[in-house]
Amino acid sequence: MSCKLVRRHLGALVDGELDPATQIEFERHLDVCPACQEGLSFERSFRAQTRASLGSVRAPEHLWGRALHRLDDIDDTKARHTSLIQIRPMRWRQTAVFGAAAAAVLVIGGVVGLPDGAEYRGAGMLQDVMDLHAQGLPSDVQAETPNDVVRYFEGKTPFPVQPAQFPESSVKFVGARYIRVGSRPAAALYYNQGGRRVTLLVFQGPGIVQNARRTEVGGRELYYHDVGGNVVTIRQQGGVNYAFFGDLDRPMLFQLAANARVAY
Amino acid sequence: MRTKPKKIDAERKLFEEEARPHLDALYSTALRLTRSPVDAEDLVQDTLVRAYRFYERFEAGTNFKAWLLRIQMNAFVNRYRRTTRERQVFQGPMAVPVGEGVMSRATMRGLTDPVGVAQRTLIAREINRAFDALSEDSRAMVLLADVEELSYREIAEVMGCPIGTVMSRLHRARKQLQVSLQQQAIQLGIIEPDADDAEEPVSLGAFRSRKAKKP
Repeated sequence: MSCKLVRRHLGALVDGELDPATQIEFERHLDVCPACQEGLSFERSFRAQTRASLGSVRAPEHLWGRALHRLDDIDDTKARHTSLIQIRPMRWRQTAVFGAAAAAVLVIGGVVGLPDGAEYRGAGMLQDVMDLHAQGLPSDVQAETPNDVVRYFEGKTPFPVQPAQFPESSVKFVGARYIRVGSRPAAALYYNQGGRRVTLLVFQGPGIVQNARRTEVGGRELYYHDVGGNVVTIRQQGGVNYAFFGDLDRPMLFQLAANARVAY
Repeated sequence: MRTKPKKIDAERKLFEEEARPHLDALYSTALRLTRSPVDAEDLVQDTLVRAYRFYERFEAGTNFKAWLLRIQMNAFVNRYRRTTRERQVFQGPMAVPVGEGVMSRATMRGLTDPVGVAQRTLIAREINRAFDALSEDSRAMVLLADVEELSYREIAEVMGCPIGTVMSRLHRARKQLQVSLQQQAIQLGIIEPDADDAEEPVSLGAFRSRKAKKP
């Protein structure tokens, strides 16, 4: 074994990257060669000096926080694309029923009509539904108890309307009004979730789920449409459509739609 | 109220726990590579974003720091290193082979055990200066091996080259660093200029071809 070969691989020796047989050969040589020994001491010392000289930089305090903000963005994107089957519905008995917080009945305006016709289906209907939410029409009824709402809709809609209850205590019932979807009578129920408006539209007619995408959340079958960046989530129960939409991200909306207690 | 599916929350928590301890290493490496605190911060953020996005591809049981550094190195190459500069690394002055016996025994002795705090500080400063004069490739090699203490296999993965190449590139980078330090140390009077230049520098290429001829 030549000095040149040993010197050439002193770095690898210090790194512990030589195979055991070669290492033994090297050590034998080093035992009898003071020059290479000196080379080895220098290599070790130089390694330590390099580490000490270059390795002491610490990240600025704010860097981690900034990085986490960017991870939040990824989470939001992921949440929008994640299979929502993973959402587990909350248990009813753990939750408060919102109805207790409602207020007095107040009739303000008449009936708002939406267009109808043979072609009035799918996309057109959905756009109207979205517009309805965007307009933010005032409530006709702000009920003290769910029964007030039920009474308000009696005779107006061919199906009984009860304000949906949500296990999420953050969802507050704001009020309701009678409207039409096309020529069909409908109930618009307004909610507030952490400052964001959520509208639940209750109406009959199978057209709304045509061409809708289907998903399952917490064992509940849901349909949904993407309308101009917003999503309308529809749950069908007892021949009635419950269309949920609002200023929420998709998973939250799906969760609300799946967990809502709509007919009771 | 911010509600996310539970799986994402758990994954996020795990990622944060795994990544946080390596933040200094990422930043330190990024700063040494980019030479700019602003660029270094951007690079680290990009690295963490990419790592989180591809977190599921990380193989449990392997070195997470090495994985992060690989992502960072790729991000660095893609973003900061341009082909012209890369050519300089391989064709410019840095491509000149570095000899085997670059230092005399006297020089090595002078640098092996710096005497006193003052001399240590001086040498630390000179190592930094010498390091900054290295090519990007050599800087990366020294950082990964000597500062972050990755294995050759891990460095090979980070740099995307065979292990044998790691060995020779690392050897070369260290020698460059030592030569540069030696010259500065002589100028500063830390060591004497070599009087006993016993060996002629031997090129790695010649060395390799000789080695290859051996059975």
